[in-house]
Amino acid sequence: MLVGVAAAVAAAAAQAGVLLSLEEALHLAFPGAEIRRQPLFLTEEQRVQVRRLGGSPLASNLLVRYEAFRDGQLVGVAYTDTHRVRTLAATLLVALDPAGSVVRVEVLSFAEPLEYLPRPEWYRQLDGRRLDQELALKRSVRPVAGATLTATATVEAVRRVLALHAVLGTSFP
Amino acid sequence: MRTGLLLILLSLLAVAAPAQQDDQRLQELERQLAELRAALEAASAPAVELAELERRLAVLAEEVERLRLGEAAAPAPTGAQGRWGLAPAASKVYGAAPGVSLGGYGELVYEDPSSRRQDGTRSGRAAQLDFLRAVVYLGYKFDEHFVLNTEIEYEHGTTGGNVGEVSVEFAYLDYLWRPEVNLRAGMVLLPVGLVNELHEPTVFHGTLRPAVERTLIPSTWRENGVGVFGEVGPLAYRAYVVNGMDASKFSAAGWRAGRQKGARARAEDLAWVGRLDYLGVPGLVAGGSLYTGGAGQEQPALVAAGADPRTTLVEVHIDWRWRALALRGLAARANLSDAAALNNALKLTGTASVGSRMVGHYLEAAWDLLPGRTALEPFLRWEELNTQDRVPAGFAANPANHTRILTLGASFRPIPQIVVKVDWQDVHTRARTGIDVVNLGIGYVF
Repeated sequence: MLVGVAAAVAAAAAQAGVLLSLEEALHLAFPGAEIRRQPLFLTEEQRVQVRRLGGSPLASNLLVRYEAFRDGQLVGVAYTDTHRVRTLAATLLVALDPAGSVVRVEVLSFAEPLEYLPRPEWYRQLDGRRLDQELALKRSVRPVAGATLTATATVEAVRRVLALHAVLGTSFP
Repeated sequence: MRTGLLLILLSLLAVAAPAQQDDQRLQELERQLAELRAALEAASAPAVELAELERRLAVLAEEVERLRLGEAAAPAPTGAQGRWGLAPAASKVYGAAPGVSLGGYGELVYEDPSSRRQDGTRSGRAAQLDFLRAVVYLGYKFDEHFVLNTEIEYEHGTTGGNVGEVSVEFAYLDYLWRPEVNLRAGMVLLPVGLVNELHEPTVFHGTLRPAVERTLIPSTWRENGVGVFGEVGPLAYRAYVVNGMDASKFSAAGWRAGRQKGARARAEDLAWVGRLDYLGVPGLVAGGSLYTGGAGQEQPALVAAGADPRTTLVEVHIDWRWRALALRGLAARANLSDAAALNNALKLTGTASVGSRMVGHYLEAAWDLLPGRTALEPFLRWEELNTQDRVPAGFAANPANHTRILTLGASFRPIPQIVVKVDWQDVHTRARTGIDVVNLGIGYVF
């Protein structure tokens, strides 16, 4: 707690662990929607494209896309992204609308101390963002005093997911 | 053949499942899955068989995702609600992993003072290159409620020749109960100012911490005590009871030497410190803190002189980030009662008096020229402090203790965890004794 105030105090404080299950996060992003899981196998060319567009590499060629349907209509997709924050890992669920704007970013797990976890309001800055130059820390996304590493890693993850979505579209690759 | 491959992969999964941290195994599994899929695409086989293999492939892909997500992949517990969204529950750590955590930071500082003072006389100061701090954070999570957090600091490279020191900067146990109320006990960092708790070199601008936050707020300020902390809506608070300072170490330069730093701390007089911050707007921290308590500690010399000094320090601060701009400001005032009696007890006369009031403030602005993972932030800081803003009747203030410092510099972070700093400090005192200095520094955090 006390993100932005006591963050540096606690480099060795409580690891937070799991904050939200995948199921909960998908429900928050797409309430009432039917979720279908779609495995994705990226080609090396696609992976290079994602890196070029997003600015950082994907960890794997194998991903699962969570597709949300209401009344048979695709209302959004979501991807998970696991990355290192400081020395430990965090996993986000990044939910997008079909047009490629961020619907919601949820923290599934955060192994660093909770003090490094930005407040919910900070994550809401990412809602509605698209993949452009403004989606960067110190541009349209404000930093967090004392939780810069988390903020940096989160923005990179969101850019990575948006790039992935731009490369893949909503069709089966 | 293909079915055989799948069986091998299933066997691999069975081995991989208990060892979720084994990244290499996961990567190997992913690689083999990709190869299998490529083989399937290239193969010609009856549609029914291909459909079944595709189904099994999907199952395996989900298994890989599940391994990657770990406990987050598990179904939500009945009635559980997440930290975000439905009902914030910051302490809802139902998958917390106990164990040891390790971190640290360090800073190398080069200081090159001017050979001349402000009035043109020789300063007598020489350049020095100091490995100022090497710090190890060590923590242990006993369970989802009890957490130990420590910082062990090595200062100035060695303890040989009475140069450096090894100190416990903090060591406390937390009981994490709920977001609104948590308990803390041990050696704690006092929640005062912007730097005392956030003192890693990558966090603040300037090779050295702001003078106001080294002198008026004697960072790193830590004492033994107990307290509570938590968040209520957009507000965050901390409140501790700690041992008071030791006024017998006070001087005209301030209270810094009066920190007891947890070492057999005199505890006849206690102090209370509280802090409140507003964190409701991303990029903004605005708040203040109050420290008040006795500092006489019933020491015979002070009692004999009739000195029962009480220390009170109040400060307000703001830290605002907007796009590439970072603004900081802080104002502090410290009052000391029984200053005249304390002077008598400490045999301080004339301009050597302790200040009955100290004041200090600073403003800082920085702009990141390379917003993104790499940062290059020129900054400017103006600060003023006076450790003898008031002295008791019969004593005089030394104008050398009224200081104004203009700092111009830049922080370069090739990656967020490493910083290279350079700055120039224009130091003025009312006595024209200021010595300008050029500083260079390298810092890291992990």
